[in-house]
Parts: sequence; C-alpha cells; structure tokens
Amino acid sequence: MSAKAPSPPADDERVPVFGTWPRIYAAVIVCALAVMALVAVFSAFPY
Amino acid sequence: MSALDWVVLLVYLVAVVAFGFWSGRGNRRIEDFFLAGRQMRWWAVGLSVMATQISAITFIGTTGQAYTDGMRFLVFYFGLPFAMVILCVTMVPFFYRARVFTAYEYLERRFDSRTRTLTSLLFLLSRGLSVGVTLYAPSLVLSVILGWSEPATILLMGGSTIVYVVYGGNKSVIWTDVVQMAIIWIGIFLCFGVAVAQLPPGFGLRDALALAQTSGRLKIMDTSRSLTTPYTLWSGLIGGLFLMLSYFGCDQSQVQRYLSGSSLTQSRLSLLFNAFLKVPMQFLILLTGVLVFVFYHFHPAPLLWNPVEMRKLESQAPAAELAAVHQRYVAAAARRQGSAEAWVRSRTPEAQAAYQAAAAELGAARGQAVKMVEAINHGARYNDTNYIFPSYILAHLPRGLAGLVIAVIFAAAMSTLSGEFNSLATATMVDFYQRFVSSSGSDARELLISRLFTALWGGFACLVALRAGQLGSAIEVVNRFGSYFYGSILGVFLLAVLTPRAAARGAFYGLMIGMAAVFAVSRYTAIHFLWYNVVGAVTVFVVGLVITAFSPDPPAARRSQARAAA
Repeated sequence: MSAKAPSPPADDERVPVFGTWPRIYAAVIVCALAVMALVAVFSAFPY
Repeated sequence: MSALDWVVLLVYLVAVVAFGFWSGRGNRRIEDFFLAGRQMRWWAVGLSVMATQISAITFIGTTGQAYTDGMRFLVFYFGLPFAMVILCVTMVPFFYRARVFTAYEYLERRFDSRTRTLTSLLFLLSRGLSVGVTLYAPSLVLSVILGWSEPATILLMGGSTIVYVVYGGNKSVIWTDVVQMAIIWIGIFLCFGVAVAQLPPGFGLRDALALAQTSGRLKIMDTSRSLTTPYTLWSGLIGGLFLMLSYFGCDQSQVQRYLSGSSLTQSRLSLLFNAFLKVPMQFLILLTGVLVFVFYHFHPAPLLWNPVEMRKLESQAPAAELAAVHQRYVAAAARRQGSAEAWVRSRTPEAQAAYQAAAAELGAARGQAVKMVEAINHGARYNDTNYIFPSYILAHLPRGLAGLVIAVIFAAAMSTLSGEFNSLATATMVDFYQRFVSSSGSDARELLISRLFTALWGGFACLVALRAGQLGSAIEVVNRFGSYFYGSILGVFLLAVLTPRAAARGAFYGLMIGMAAVFAVSRYTAIHFLWYNVVGAVTVFVVGLVITAFSPDPPAARRSQARAAA
C-alpha cells in the first residue's frame, strides 16, 4: 500500500521540562486533581 | 445585526478562507495532504485537537445548559486529563511508530483486514452522518435568531470550510484551527468580561455567585452513585474517561490531528496541552452561562427563547390564555428580581426561601407556555436551551462585539467541520480506495482523488444539513448512533494494545457483541449515556478474551506479526 512509509522513526527529541515522561504524566495528574479540588471549593464556597 | 457586526463577520470569513489557502499550499503527496507532512509542532496540533472538539453547538449549548441546569456538565470533562495520559502511554506510541494514516490501519496489522474494514466503516457511517448535524444545528439557531435563510447559512458555513480544506488538506485544517481557537478564546474572555460588567450597580461578582449558588447553578460535584443520574462525579470520572479514550484514541477526526506531529514527543505534548486546558476552558464557558442567568434576573427575558416558536404560539394559541400566562410570567419575573435583591442584601433564610419561591413560580409560568407550544406541535418536545446565548449576544452585546461572537460561533463550527471532512476523506482514501480500488497511482493522481473525497464528504454534509429539517427525530437517532459503538471500538483497541494474545476472531465478534450490549442497555435501561462507553469497551474486552481462549491457535506467521504490531 502506498500510504505506508517503510521504517519506523526514532523519537530522539529531549523530553521537555521535567526530563522524563513519567514525571510529566504525574504533573498532569496532580494538576488535574488540583483543578478538580478547586472546582469543588468554588462550588461549595459560601459566597 | 448592525453594519459593524456584519463587517466583523465578513472580515473573519474572508480572512480565514484566505489564510486556509495560504497555509495549505505545497501539498505534493497524500502524506502532506492528510498528515501535513508529519511536520507540525505540539502547540499547533494541541490547539487543533481542542478546536476540533469544541463545536458551535458545544459553545452555545453549554452556556445555555449552564443557564437552565447549572455547571454540573463540567464533570463530563473530568476524565479527559487521565484519558490523555493513558493515550500518551498506550495508543499514541503504537500509532506513531506504525506510521499509519488511520487508527483503523493499525488494527489490520494487529488483527486482520476485516476488523480494520468494519471499524473504519463504522467511523464513516457515524461521523459522516453526524457531520451533517454538526453543520445543521448552529445554522438553524443562527437562522432563527438572526432571521437569515437556513439554506444560505448552511451553505455559507459549509461551503467556506469545504473550499480551504479541499485545497490545503490537513495543513489548512490545523493552521485555521489555531486561528479559530484564538478567536474562540478571545470570544470566551470577552463574553465573560461583558457578563461581569453588565451586572447591576452595587451588585458584585460575589453577589452574582451567591445568587447562582442559591438557585443550584453552582452545584458541580454530585457524588450520587446512581447510574441513571446525569453528570455525577463518578459518571464524569469513569464514564467520561472511557468516552474521552474512545474519542481521542479511536476517532479518526482526532487521531489524525496528533499523527501530524513532527515526532512522538510533539504528538504527546499536543494531547497533554489539552489535558491542562480543557477543564478550565469549559469552566469559563459554563460560568459565562451562569452569569447570563444572573443577568436575566435584572433584565426582561423572553417567555420562550426560540422566536419562531414564540410567534407560532402568539398566532395559534388562544389569545386570552396566552395573555394570562404572559402576565403571570412578567409578575413572577418582577417578584424574582425583588426577592433576589432582598436576599443578596440580607442573606437571611427567609429571604432565601422567598427568592426560591419566586424562582419556582417563574419556572411554572414558563412551563405553562412550554406545554402550550408542545400542544401546538402535536406533543413534540420543546427545548430552547441552544437559543439562550445567541439571543443574549444579539440583544445585549455592544455593536461589533456581537459580530465577533457570531464569528466565534462560525469559528467553532468550521474548526470541527474542517477536521471531520479531512478525516472522512482520509479513511475513505486509505482504508477503502487504496485497498479495494487502486493501490498504485502517481502522487498527483492520489492527491486529486483525496481532494475529490474531501469535496464529496463536504457536499454530503451540506446535503444532510439541508435535509435535516425534514428528518425530525432521525437527527436524535444519528446523534445516538455513534454512542452505540464508540466504546466498543475502544474495546477492540484495548484488546490490540493491552493483550498480545488476543486473536482477530475475538476482536471481530467481540465488537459485534459489544455493540449489541450497548444497544440493549440504551434500549431497556435508564442508565445515563456516559456509561455506554464503559459497557461497550468492557464487553468487547471480556468477550474478545473469552473467544480467543476458545479459538484455535493462529498460524505461526500470523502470531509473530501480531506480536510485532502489539
């Protein structure tokens, strides 16, 4: 099939900011949980 | 719309089409046309992913939903950040390293050709039909609110998108999405700012939030474990997670965006960018809707938001009955305004009870009008949620700004349509034409056919949108159609990626049984739709493994091929 390139590419880009992917994923999850906690506070705050 | 609003809208349309042409030049092969030559940076792909997801009806419907129902719809997006991380770990590396054009192409390498054909066909059927609804829904709202011709609105929105996508392919899609997403962000901030600025004198943001809270509009975290209650925390986290995994991991309209990244790192970053921004963006859109709700405490709101239905009510309902309902509604609105002001000043439980009673009376008066219009329409359900925000824009936004927000609605619609036209053409070309019609051809010829498929899908979407008015409840069927197999397709991909032993037979029949299970759940239970994807994915995964366990071993060559793909 002409739509396929022959060889898989190497991904040699440096992982940005946190240096490793597991650290980046952990940061995303912590950030998501923090946003949800803020949303819960926003929702229940006695205005 | 004022002349200035028209100028703003026309400048947007001309500029975006011109930019689409300029950014899409230089396509020589179908890899350029469908995957932007795999040269895109993460921020451009990330904005394109975001723009493809936010359709016009999401923008105007979400604000309307916040007005009528509050902000609990936000939990719909709670599973998204986790889905993005899971996809970055699992699917994205597989797709990227396999150098595929479509997500379904990967399934042929891992399982067999019929699994690829079936999943791609399901994508074409559901996305092909829903793209027409994506075009029809905002066109209908704009034509009703602005008094435009509905076919002209459809052709203007659809036609201008087709023009630049046919010429520039995915490069045009991504770069115009970047511009359109910037316009959408500007529009969201402006709407929010104007809604805050239009609060009555002496009535601050904190008072507005207090009023919204006492009317239940700020309730987001519903921890009910009921599967039938819409938008609970658990349905958002678990059901939303599976929905987002299905949409971003198995739907070609999204997969194609991040396959255009210049490296695996760029593709991953584009998804993580969305993981950070999506929930705050939806929060802001919903909060704008809540502020519009507060705004209409102090400004007269129409009895019905759909002006066409309102005119129908005025001409066909008994005049005395309608006048009585209208009088009741106006009196209740005045009482609600007074009690809201009193409650904000005193914050006593008595004042709160008086406000809530006045709000309930207002709701009852409107409910009476809704019943009347439903009786005129022979019992057809009346819902005007999508008309609230456009009505507010037109009636209360300053000149020029209203035109900009109408341009935002156009941008949201066009950014979704462009990605969908492009992905439908890709699946047609790569999963069907190249396999069943002609696998060899010059680059120029393949490019020409790819453009032709893009134009055909664009034309088909316009045709569906033009006919949608006569389809009636069929539109709802089309919208539900995708939800029957979204989770099931995810189940096939989970089998492919997580279980090296899973066989093609298990994936194929598991998919069939998964779809049947989702259909049965939707038909015979009241379980909320956010759980359908969980049902589909889990059924396919379990059934696929069971069938694999009872299947004869595949030939050694097939086993090693599957292991290599997994």
